[in-house]
Amino acid sequence: MTKLIHRQPVDAPILHVVDGKEVIPGHYNFLQRFVRFLLEPFTGAWRHRDLIAAILRRELRERFSGSVAGWVWAVVAPLISLVTYTLVFGGAVKLPNGNPANSPTDYALFVFGGLIAFNFFTEMAYRAPSLLHEYAHYLKQTMFPAQMLPVISTLRATTYATIGLALMLVCQLIFGGTLYWTVLLLPLWFIPFLAFLLGITWLLSAMGAFTRDTAYLMMTIAPVLMFATPVFWSHETLSPDMQLVMYANILTGFIEIIRDIVVFGQLPNALVVAWTVFLSSATFWLGYWFFRRQQDGITDVI
Amino acid sequence: MSFDDGTIIRARHLAKAYKLYDNQGDWLKQQILGSTRTYYKSFWALKDINFEVRRGESVGIIGRNGCGKSTLLQIVCGMTRPTKGEIWVKGRVAPVLALGATFDLEATGRENVLIGGAVLGLKRHEIIAKFDSIADFAGIGDFMDQPIKLYSTGMRTRLAFAICAHMNAEILIVDEALAVGDMAFQQKCIDWIDNFRRTGTLLFVSHSPSELTRLCNHALWIDDGRVREAGDVAEVTRAYKRATRTEKDSMSRFSAV
Repeated sequence: MTKLIHRQPVDAPILHVVDGKEVIPGHYNFLQRFVRFLLEPFTGAWRHRDLIAAILRRELRERFSGSVAGWVWAVVAPLISLVTYTLVFGGAVKLPNGNPANSPTDYALFVFGGLIAFNFFTEMAYRAPSLLHEYAHYLKQTMFPAQMLPVISTLRATTYATIGLALMLVCQLIFGGTLYWTVLLLPLWFIPFLAFLLGITWLLSAMGAFTRDTAYLMMTIAPVLMFATPVFWSHETLSPDMQLVMYANILTGFIEIIRDIVVFGQLPNALVVAWTVFLSSATFWLGYWFFRRQQDGITDVI
Repeated sequence: MSFDDGTIIRARHLAKAYKLYDNQGDWLKQQILGSTRTYYKSFWALKDINFEVRRGESVGIIGRNGCGKSTLLQIVCGMTRPTKGEIWVKGRVAPVLALGATFDLEATGRENVLIGGAVLGLKRHEIIAKFDSIADFAGIGDFMDQPIKLYSTGMRTRLAFAICAHMNAEILIVDEALAVGDMAFQQKCIDWIDNFRRTGTLLFVSHSPSELTRLCNHALWIDDGRVREAGDVAEVTRAYKRATRTEKDSMSRFSAV
């Protein structure tokens, strides 16, 4: 194991490619190569941490210091959308504990978690297809590790999502009067969610590099998906068969879990957690695998 | 792989094909049905390139537009992979021209130094430690804190060269970058390159035979994706000059097979 994580020997060449394939010094069997592949996103991110930090810092500064109000927008925007959705859909939902949501604040809290997760997803889905075009000058002209761009943009979006989550906790404290201990599980919710988004971003950005259709496809799908995802309603109002179908949409699982741990203060269904973690890990590594497979072509077409 | 210690770059039968698709539908078909037939035309930018560079050598690369010089440099830098053949590089590469093209126009010179250094693989503390020296070399004064969009082309080149000059690379790749700066700055760069050549390896692309003979001791003449002549810089540039007089400037070489 340590052999795989360890840095390459000092005298190894910086670059060695034969017939289009990178030559990795040393011999590895199939299992070792597989483990190496699984670790690659993490070792890569660690190796390029200074580069990731430099670009992320610059992107955040551009986002927040380019405007007068800066961080205020990041707080106001989710609040306004929350108020709007609550006013429009308020009361049309039955909470999973059987009682109808009779006060708008109950419903607002119910919606907020779903909204944060879904907005985080759409932000990535909209940006990913054009991501590599945005950075084309880096990719074409320098030895830029393209596979780290999705990492940077996911981290960037994470800052907004974190602001949203903090707001959610504050609202919960004000309107619900208490914070459940299960809130401590939020970081555990975040990790698979980030993994899922990264996988999606790798996939969409690689596809988007080749064809602009990816962007149009996402613009068509995302609004539909918003209503096919239990953001404003609870999937438990559906028939049991339909509920199972809903879990094919990975966002359903994530939204159910965040509601359980923040709004209802209960442990999420273990089966749902396992399924969600499985889907997000699969997306993560599949996305990475697809991106790496296409990477050489990407620099040529962009 | 037991190469003798002197070799720093080795290329064997390098070939690079770009896939040209007639339309995006063909790309999609290739992705889905690719194993049964091909839906693209290949353009072979490099066909068969063999060369070796030893540590401390200065190699000039000449050739006409579209002969594959840039592709070759991109391969040496690791920006793109060769389709066939072997490339072996053992040392940190700094591509000089490239950096100026990656500047973020909205960001200040200072921010671009931090980002540019990171892109070239420097650690943050290393860049910060070298910052004053970089600013001094670029010699653009208070413009360091202005957005790059306000810079002149010459100022950008100055900053780009200053960053590259500070990254402790073992292999320096200069791609016709110096033509932009004024005489004084060109002289400064050439002095710096001269100094660099004592310890480092230089790949220098230029269309000017006098610059080549001034800075390099070997030369590589690339023609139509192949090495047409290699060896002593004076001989290769002489042969190249002779050839440009007799061969017409025809664009037929840009067509895909």
